[in-house]
Amino acid sequence: MNSIELHNTLPCVFEGRDVQSEIWLQDVVFQKGETYLVEASSGTGKSSLCSYIIGYRKDYLGNICFDNKDIRQHRVSDWTAIRKHTLSLLFQELRLFPELTAMENIDIKNELTNHKSHKEIEAWFERLGIADKINAKVGRMSFGQQQRVAMIRALVQPFDFLMVDEPISHLDDENSKIMAGIMMEEAQHQGAGVIVTSIGKHMDLPYTKTFRL
Amino acid sequence: MMLLVWKLLRQHISIAQLAGFFFANLFGMFIVLLGLQFYNDVKPLFSQDDGFLKPEYLIVSKRISGMSVLGAGESCGFSDKEVEDISNQPFCKSVGAFTASQYRVVCSMGVNGVAQFGTDMFFESVPDRFVDTELSKWRFSSEDGIIPIILPRTYLAIYNFGFAQSQSLPKISEGIVGMIDMLVVLRGNGQEQRLKGKVIGFSTRLNTILVPESFIKWSNTKFAPEADLTPNRLIVEVKNPTDDAIVKYINDHNLELEDDKLDAGKATYFLKLVTILVMCIGMLISILSFYILMLSIYLLVQKNTEKLRNLLLIGYSPVRVSLPYQLLTVGMNGVVLILSFTLLYMVRCYYMNMLWVMFPQMQDGSMWPTLCLGIGLFIVVSLINIVAVRNRVMKIWNRKE
Repeated sequence: MNSIELHNTLPCVFEGRDVQSEIWLQDVVFQKGETYLVEASSGTGKSSLCSYIIGYRKDYLGNICFDNKDIRQHRVSDWTAIRKHTLSLLFQELRLFPELTAMENIDIKNELTNHKSHKEIEAWFERLGIADKINAKVGRMSFGQQQRVAMIRALVQPFDFLMVDEPISHLDDENSKIMAGIMMEEAQHQGAGVIVTSIGKHMDLPYTKTFRL
Repeated sequence: MMLLVWKLLRQHISIAQLAGFFFANLFGMFIVLLGLQFYNDVKPLFSQDDGFLKPEYLIVSKRISGMSVLGAGESCGFSDKEVEDISNQPFCKSVGAFTASQYRVVCSMGVNGVAQFGTDMFFESVPDRFVDTELSKWRFSSEDGIIPIILPRTYLAIYNFGFAQSQSLPKISEGIVGMIDMLVVLRGNGQEQRLKGKVIGFSTRLNTILVPESFIKWSNTKFAPEADLTPNRLIVEVKNPTDDAIVKYINDHNLELEDDKLDAGKATYFLKLVTILVMCIGMLISILSFYILMLSIYLLVQKNTEKLRNLLLIGYSPVRVSLPYQLLTVGMNGVVLILSFTLLYMVRCYYMNMLWVMFPQMQDGSMWPTLCLGIGLFIVVSLINIVAVRNRVMKIWNRKE
């Protein structure tokens, strides 16, 4: 997948409102290989945007296309393939499984494609400073620690685009930097596009373009 | 691979609910299977399958009154008009006449060449299509001179328990009927001929000595060419032996049925009714238990909705996510099938032993129809389970939960 295009897209709930946005009701293209920042205030539909692109919600007007194909036409099997091989999303609400350990949470994703070895995964845990939590239940970890686990999970799959929804909201600057480093390494390695959303604090990256939502 | 998914999705499984389903379904399935198996095992006892006469055949004769004995009443025979009237009845499929031998028959019997007793007797025949035996055995030709004969089973009993016992002669079982030698002497019309008889079987329902129609025609022409051939008895093929119209017709026309076929038919009818009732109860229990299972699975999916949704969002397909619950239900259905069949097998061994003591002539029936029914139910229920689980997961996919 080379591009994600938004054509006159608007969440249904915003219909009739006076929307001032560089994303909603615009023609926007995200290209593979580039890095984008979407800055938003609360309630401007940042998480909705992520949900639309990952195919979880369809309550929007206008069109969203992957490589010029309207994603409303994707069938269940298409979405499953996209989520496995093409598009990775770090959810703002993380969507980890609290009853599994950190490593099991990664494994359950990695087993779909066997994209990364245990060694590589363990190295990431090490770099993010949560190596001692590998076998701890995610439910017992702090949100900041969980965010790092969720980031690793987002990276253990092949992707053309990586969307990260407020990835560092609960991290200090040091850890944010490390996380950004790992993320960009992997994205560049895969030649992928990166879309970062932020509500205030954001990763310090060489963004191609910044949008105000 | 499946292990982690299973570890995740087995959360909230209620052992109590599944056990409730398991035992209820086991019970229901067992009753359904037992009903069918018992029916199949016991049915032959009621229908008294004759081997030579199909159960839809009735034997009809005129009621003999004091007047007819004196020759003053109606004739004992059936006129052509009466035969036609019966064949026009709606319950009747076809009618055939019994034709009796009109000459003298003397017959001596022996086993393995030792003559044992002789007697005067007679022969009767019905049209060949009413006799349910291999046609190659049921044929007479005057060249080889062997007459195939079907004897009433009571004769065997009379011989074995009355005659043989008192004369210290060997008893004959049905298995060695072929060893009975019969020498038949036919006399009439100034001629005499010796022929061999061969007993090919015994009939419970026929109170006559039955020979092929071709033999009667040949012998009557030869030994009694001028005899009157008005039939005294008719064999009637009916559509349904339990039909009330038959009893009414028989009574209205002062006729008699030769055997208790109608009673047996009624008993079979009640057996069927009771079996269906029992099977319905079993089925009801099964359906209720199935309902428990569905509720239990729905509840499980409901409680695990968030996990299922997250799995779908990180790239698991609905098929893969549904699989653990589908395997769970199908596995339980399978275990229920195996257990209920094992249970049935044990119970059947028990009651068959009892039945054999009471009815030694009973044949061992097959368990295949019951197994097929069990497997059929298993497949239907499992398919419904599989589809239901899949639909639930698709509801989560479509955010309708």
